[in-house]
Amino acid sequence: MKTLLEKLIINYPYFFAMVLFAIGVLTVLTRSNLFKKLLGINIMGSAGYILFIAAGNIRGGTEPILHTSDPGAVYVNPLPSALMLTGIVVSVSVTAFALSLIIRLYKEYGTTDAQRIARMRNEVTESDSSDRR
Amino acid sequence: MFYSADALKLYLILGLSSGAAGGLIVLMIPRDRRRLRNIITFIFAASGAVFSWLTALSVFAGKGGRVGFASGELEWSLHPDPPGAVFGLIASTLWLFATVYSFGYMAEKGGQRVYYAFFLFSLSATVGVAFAGNLVTLYLFYELLTLATYPLVIHERTPEASAAGTKYIMYNLSGAGAILIAIIITYRYAGNPDFTGGPVLAGVSSPVLGWLLVMYIVGFGVKAAIMPLHRWLPAAMVAPTPVSALLHAVAVVYAGVFGVIRVVYSVFGRELAGQLSISRVLPWVAAFTILAGVIIALRQDVLKRRLAYQTVSHLSYILLGVFTLQPCGLAGAMMQMITYPFMKMTLFFCAGIIARQTGETRISRMAGVGRKLPWTMAAFVAATLGMAGTLPMSTFWGKYYLMKGSVAGGMWPFALVLAVSGLINAACFIPVAVEAFRGDKTPSCKEKDGWTALMFAPTVVLVVISIVTGLVPGIVWPGVEAVTDWFFG
Amino acid sequence: MIADNLPAFVIIVPLFVGVVLPVFARRLRLVEGLVVLAEAAGLAGAGFLAYIVFAQKGTDWVYQLGGWPAPWGIELTVNSLAVFFLLAVMAVSLPIALFTIGNLKEEVGGNRRTARFYTLFLLLVGALAGMALTNDLFNTYVLVEVATLSCCGLVSSRGTPRAAEAAFTYLILATLASSLVVIGIGFIYVITGHLNMGFASQGLAEVWQTKPHVVWLAISFVLVGFGLKSALFPLHVWLPDAHSSAPSPASAILSGLAVKGYMICLLKFLYVVFGPDLMKEFSVDRILVLAGMAAIICGAVMALPQDNLKRRLAFSTVSQVGYIYLGFGLMDENGLAGALFYLASHAAIKSALFLSAGAMISATGKKKISEMAGIGREMPLTAAAFTAASLGLIGIPMFSGFVGKWYLITGSLDTGDFLPTVIIIAGSVLCAAYLFPVIRVAWFESPQTANQENTAQLKGPGAAQKLALLMLMAVIFILGIVPGPFIALAKNAAAELLMFR
Repeated sequence: MKTLLEKLIINYPYFFAMVLFAIGVLTVLTRSNLFKKLLGINIMGSAGYILFIAAGNIRGGTEPILHTSDPGAVYVNPLPSALMLTGIVVSVSVTAFALSLIIRLYKEYGTTDAQRIARMRNEVTESDSSDRR
Repeated sequence: MFYSADALKLYLILGLSSGAAGGLIVLMIPRDRRRLRNIITFIFAASGAVFSWLTALSVFAGKGGRVGFASGELEWSLHPDPPGAVFGLIASTLWLFATVYSFGYMAEKGGQRVYYAFFLFSLSATVGVAFAGNLVTLYLFYELLTLATYPLVIHERTPEASAAGTKYIMYNLSGAGAILIAIIITYRYAGNPDFTGGPVLAGVSSPVLGWLLVMYIVGFGVKAAIMPLHRWLPAAMVAPTPVSALLHAVAVVYAGVFGVIRVVYSVFGRELAGQLSISRVLPWVAAFTILAGVIIALRQDVLKRRLAYQTVSHLSYILLGVFTLQPCGLAGAMMQMITYPFMKMTLFFCAGIIARQTGETRISRMAGVGRKLPWTMAAFVAATLGMAGTLPMSTFWGKYYLMKGSVAGGMWPFALVLAVSGLINAACFIPVAVEAFRGDKTPSCKEKDGWTALMFAPTVVLVVISIVTGLVPGIVWPGVEAVTDWFFG
Repeated sequence: MIADNLPAFVIIVPLFVGVVLPVFARRLRLVEGLVVLAEAAGLAGAGFLAYIVFAQKGTDWVYQLGGWPAPWGIELTVNSLAVFFLLAVMAVSLPIALFTIGNLKEEVGGNRRTARFYTLFLLLVGALAGMALTNDLFNTYVLVEVATLSCCGLVSSRGTPRAAEAAFTYLILATLASSLVVIGIGFIYVITGHLNMGFASQGLAEVWQTKPHVVWLAISFVLVGFGLKSALFPLHVWLPDAHSSAPSPASAILSGLAVKGYMICLLKFLYVVFGPDLMKEFSVDRILVLAGMAAIICGAVMALPQDNLKRRLAFSTVSQVGYIYLGFGLMDENGLAGALFYLASHAAIKSALFLSAGAMISATGKKKISEMAGIGREMPLTAAAFTAASLGLIGIPMFSGFVGKWYLITGSLDTGDFLPTVIIIAGSVLCAAYLFPVIRVAWFESPQTANQENTAQLKGPGAAQKLALLMLMAVIFILGIVPGPFIALAKNAAAELLMFR
């Protein structure tokens, strides 16, 4: 048990990443408000970022800019940060798209609650003539 | 007759494609040009028959042709051998009779374009099954036959017909699935060789072979109406009478029976099949179907359903002969296979004439029909005698050899089964005939017109052929002998 | 120069043309022409790459983006698997693009929106081409994201509220899946330090025994992530709504190709990065086989009661995806080759089904099967295409589905397990059960008295649509009648995959 606790404390970034991921997944699946689902997605994204960036970190390392004066310097891995920039961009695009969809749904149904929207959609199904194809 | 290699290939291809080409042309003819359509149908059915005869005769002379086509790692091939030639002959010849009959029966009905087109497609598919050179090609045409006959089954377009069509497809595709698994297992043991090269599984030993045989029999048994896989057949009687007569008394069900023959003799071979313990069970399955089929037939009031169950029973005559694994038994089976359709089609044709002229389909209401349609009922009586297996009808000889084969194989109970079923067959239909002539009521009957003659003529010719072959069985004997020589060497 | 950098061009050309298209939005004819041109160029490139792979058997062409060698740079491997999927993508997306010509404006609402539809379409095609070729883990993730966003955009392109709702659900679930995938990639990166598939594979081979839990986590995350994206049962719930709310060409490419792209990515992850030994170790093969069998049966059973034609086809996709996963899990050369061939065959078949269904729905204004009686008489070519594709799906010989099923059954018999064989056949029978009623209603039932509202707005298929359907039927028949070279390619791909440790 003690070594387990020690391991958790040493690897705290990964621990937090997993906790955040769990919170994100639960939010997406259990909350019916569309905005909250979107926030859950963003939280999951953050978990991914933390995982990668923490993986690249070396405790006691310097920033990954070439120090010609110090040939034995240990550099933090710059690759994960670069990868996660891509991830952040993706996340931003997804958020923007999702928000525009939410606006569309709000205009139509007047609510941002997924369950109420589903109920309203089922009532409209029979007379859904505009949805021709 | 030209027997050069190229000519043989030509006969083969033309015999196979006459039906398909004819069907396509019929689909393009406008709906109201009835005479043109009838003429075209007849021409292509006749050409199919002619080329099948040419192919068959060349096979009997010892020189069959071969057409092969490689597709991926498999090969499709047409390579007729004597059994295939016999089946091809019967099918394409009887198709002519059914075509002429159809002209009369279908005269005032709708949907004729689809009917004749798929009638011709089914001819091609059946000839394909007959002339298939290996298992994969057999499977191909087997599936195409199911598809080609489906529109004929649902022709009446009533809810009952649609339900029958669905049942038809489900049963047949399930059976085909079992066959496919069996073919792939066979392929893994022995590849995909032609049937003409000896039994496919010769020299293979494996504990799985018994199950493989069962799977094949179950798969082909759907079309061959082995009980309890026969349920689609009575339901399919909603189809027009020529369809029921030809396809579900001869072509489709014979494809199943032919498949069983192929499995037992061309895939397993007589010795290997004899070694499997399951082979001792199979004749009993056939015997059960023979008796059960004919007993259930007794209880049917709708004439076509009674005929359907009788078909189920009679198909197992052929299967019984096949399963005896004796030359006499197989000879009886082939004899039965050649002679039985003439009489069965006669019965169905009579039922169709009665239905068209008087509107009656139920036996209980057919009292006195004989007075209005005496020749029809005379043909009916003759065919009934054939079903019971008595002289002078040709089926007598089939039964004779079947009994001989059963006794030769030491399986005398089956001879008993055959005799009993003959009696029950008689009990099925003699009362009908008697009723028809005796009854005091005379049902209303339409006037006979030109179309009726087209229905009578084939019926009469069929009866005449049955009687002639019954008195002179030597006519068909060469075909039977070719098959038994082929398989029993 | 083009020939040397062909792998990169095959990915970049669709992407580039897609991004440039909105500039010409007002001139719709030009836009359509550019799309078809880009597709044709892609097909030519794919063909050329296939020829190269055939010509030099054994050595794959490993192309390095930007000249950076691995493990620092991103590699594109041109091997049998890559070329097989690339050909499938290009050969199927070209007819779909043809089908949209002249057809899309009314459905989507205006020239500008049509141009944006094409942008998303080409982005998706480019991403799929990339998924075929890439050999880098994070590159896969980026392409997967491009594909996901394009797919969601395509689903929402009609602008109706139902489409928006379906797109939102799809977006949320797909992004959830992407997060799972990226965390899976993260785990692999943490323990091996490599993003190149080959190097990661070697790293995993060395390290997995000391860190089995991490590897197990990585496999599970990746499997669930890609399974959710490719609608593996029971993660398929988003698919029926999404694919039935989209315009038909979008449904065609979504069901036919996009779902398959994710499966190819999963295939690469499982076989190239993890390897067959690790798969067996963590029972991934058993899971795939079980999930596949469940998908085949449950998808088909759920398709039976659907009266809406496109929903029925969507559930059919769920079922057919099960076949391919079943083949993946068999870990056998015949089974894998069968799964790959089935993947390509289903892409063509499903596209033909969705496109012809879309044409039938456009022409009659009706969405339910029971209302489409007798449509075979009015639109014989379209109904014939639907019938031919259905027969291909059921597995009649001479159609492509038969060849795929043959090898799948051979593969499952190789492993000695009989249940998958029975399920495959049962799936075919159920497939007939849910497709034959449509054929019967279309050809053999009389049309009810016409009560066409908006008859003026409805129109039948034009020349481009008919050409597209004919091309797809040609693909189905070619794969069915002369599958030789394609089966050889699929078997090569399978052999390569199974050779990885």
